[in-house]
Amino acid sequence: MTDTAPVIRVEGLTKNFGRVRALDGLDLTVRRGEVHGFLGPNGSGKSTTIRVLLGLIKATSGRVELFSGDPWRDAPRLHRRLAYVAGDVALWPGLTGGQCLDVLGSTHGAFDERRRADLVEQFQLNPTTRVRDYSKGNRQKVALVAALAADAELLVLDEPTSGLDPLMEQTFQRCVRDRRETGVTVLLSSHIMGEVEALADQVTIIRRGRTVTSGTLSDMRRHTRTVVRAVTMADPGVLTDIEGLADHQRERLAELTDSRFTIDTAHLDTAIGRLHEAGIHTLTVTPPSLAALFLRSYGETPGPDESVGEESLAETGR
Amino acid sequence: MSALHLAPDDRPRSLETMLRIVARIQRRSALTWVLVLGASLVGTAAGVAALYDTTAKIHTYAAAVTTGSTLVAINGKVEGIDSLGGVIQDEFGFMVAFLMPLLGISLVARATRREEECGRLELLLGGRIARHDPTVAALLVTTATIVSTAGLFAAGLALFGVPLAGSVLYALSVGGLAFVFAGLAALLAQLTLHSRGVYTWSLIILAASYALRGVGDVTNTWVTWLSPLGWAEKAAPFGDQRWWTLVIPLAAGLALGAAASWLAGRRDLGSALVRGGTGPDRASARLRSPIGFAVWIHRPAILGWLAGGVLLTGMMGALSHQFLGAMAGNPALAQAIGIGNGPPMDGLVAATQLYLAVIAAGYLVQAVGTLRREEGDGRLETRLSGVLSRNRWLASHAVVLLGGLMTIVLISSLVLGLATALSAGDMAEFGPALLSGLAYLPAELVLAGVALAVYGMRPRLFGIVWAGYAAMTFIAFLGPGLNFPQWALDLSPTTQVGNPPMGAVQSGALIALSALAGVLVAVGFAAFRRRGVPQN
Repeated sequence: MTDTAPVIRVEGLTKNFGRVRALDGLDLTVRRGEVHGFLGPNGSGKSTTIRVLLGLIKATSGRVELFSGDPWRDAPRLHRRLAYVAGDVALWPGLTGGQCLDVLGSTHGAFDERRRADLVEQFQLNPTTRVRDYSKGNRQKVALVAALAADAELLVLDEPTSGLDPLMEQTFQRCVRDRRETGVTVLLSSHIMGEVEALADQVTIIRRGRTVTSGTLSDMRRHTRTVVRAVTMADPGVLTDIEGLADHQRERLAELTDSRFTIDTAHLDTAIGRLHEAGIHTLTVTPPSLAALFLRSYGETPGPDESVGEESLAETGR
Repeated sequence: MSALHLAPDDRPRSLETMLRIVARIQRRSALTWVLVLGASLVGTAAGVAALYDTTAKIHTYAAAVTTGSTLVAINGKVEGIDSLGGVIQDEFGFMVAFLMPLLGISLVARATRREEECGRLELLLGGRIARHDPTVAALLVTTATIVSTAGLFAAGLALFGVPLAGSVLYALSVGGLAFVFAGLAALLAQLTLHSRGVYTWSLIILAASYALRGVGDVTNTWVTWLSPLGWAEKAAPFGDQRWWTLVIPLAAGLALGAAASWLAGRRDLGSALVRGGTGPDRASARLRSPIGFAVWIHRPAILGWLAGGVLLTGMMGALSHQFLGAMAGNPALAQAIGIGNGPPMDGLVAATQLYLAVIAAGYLVQAVGTLRREEGDGRLETRLSGVLSRNRWLASHAVVLLGGLMTIVLISSLVLGLATALSAGDMAEFGPALLSGLAYLPAELVLAGVALAVYGMRPRLFGIVWAGYAAMTFIAFLGPGLNFPQWALDLSPTTQVGNPPMGAVQSGALIALSALAGVLVAVGFAAFRRRGVPQN
């Protein structure tokens, strides 16, 4: 019945805090079964959007639907179907990690005992340690395990891996993929490009409370340039006659030729054909990184106080 | 970064920088301590000087409090109690025994271990601050606060006609007491992992010192000398004036402080000798239910305030016989604690119940403040992102708050009833003690209602609730003794109750207070449902 309706539908959402406009006509649509990357610099309104979606704060105007319901009026009923990891994981210092898992689990709709045990092991969490003795990363793991163990249809993750080491980050990605296999929808707010790139099908990029761009990663890549570097047996000659090719550089090595260029994704086939004729020795084709897409989204619309944007972009470059 | 890596001329600058930082962080709480302590002493001195304005009255007082050993155990054995200074020392003895050490403990714990556990110390030590300097700076700033407090004490006493030498010795002896505990807290801050541990262990040691001093004073033995509280008492500022005893707290505090800085310079940042233990890996079914979880959150506060209530009622009850004797000899004493005319036993129970109402209301305000902290720290957001609705969350806390209030009032009133019965030898006061405790419930709930309404509407303004509580406490404690006008007394909901069992319970007022509390609670719930979370 509601299977075709989006899990999350936000249209023209605005939110004012006193005189400050935190959200300014934001759009976001998350369909069933997708992992949706939600990107934006610090202070762009990601967490505010999520709080509105969870019915924690009330939208000033615009349309907000969660499972086709109104999260402000119907929060507890809708929350039965989701699990949430807050950006700043705050737990009760006097409880142990295991107790926190159960307390958090008690507020989720249902809870899979076997998955809980598996996840505790995979994330190498010691459930008998008090939360006050945990490191930041370990606190984050508690919140993640609680959310991933929940029998939820939707996972709302607000910068869930900011305190995790690279190994745990891998574990996290594997667990999210596992959950998606079972049909779970994920809203993943992040500014770690690699993570979004590895997990997300759809991406929405926001800035200053407004959606800049939204679509699949491949859609976005279609409009950007791919970097090609090829070493060929013979000299492929001057390639600049190929449509959409630019930045061409050629260098003769002993018997080989090293060519580098960027090209529109649409004309990649023609270019590779030419290289093939010259006999490919090694070939590297690098699709545009999400970071490049992200930077491009911001480069296009310089705002009045650009310093804010630049600062945040410096963050994303980590 | 170690002290050794600093160039010699950087050393003093490192300490100076750290001093400025600590002074900046602490200036508000240090000033509050100085002013509150100074005002309490001056207030006590003023009250005592006004009430005991003749030698005869002082003699009666001295005779009353030295009869039996109960008051000696509580306030200490004051040498030279036959003087104005001695009476003040005795009256202020209980307060000073806890507040002065607490000043030292809290200022040091805040500047050392708490900064370290929040990670801010790491930031500073990453700069050009030597590792032991935060400890040294915290001790210096705390010492300066103690000296200012002592200065106010000495000036305050002298102002009310206490001889200067005695005033100065008294101020220095209680200052020394604070200094010892500052040193102790600095050392504990190096040994425990969290500031909570610093408080817990310091307060345990303080309680032990209090007990040792009590045992020593009652048995008249050297045991008193084992306690820092005993050192202050043995200075005997209004008796033999043993100035040399000041050396003991000074040496002890310096030794503790030196050990703390030595450790701070050598141990790893973030390390501790005493680490917290582990706990159960699963939550009990009780903890998983909203009410059970609320009980877990509020339990420490309930037990703490209950301990205060039982201590108060037990003490007043046990001493009731002696108090009656003292009041028979000195009507002014009855006036001072607000009893006035009427059956003295009823008066004592009424005064105790009023104090208990202050304790119960304090519990309620603090408990609602806990909800605000849950929100401020971000835990409420996590809690409400599940199936728990706002109404259910707030209602489960409200139920636990009410349960805690009933526990505190009922058990404390029961203790009062039993203790007065045991002390006086008949059960006449048992029923009145219990019923008058219950009669204060609506007044206490009005305060809970105000707290909930403010929390629901504007949690940021929660300070207003504490201010209201302070005003209520002031009116309850000092209003009758200082002859406040009736309209000022009427501002406090506790006045409306009718001062049972000495006065008749005003049932009309109780109904009005209950209705007011109900309306305030409803406003709190309605506003909380409508506002954004988190809001600070």
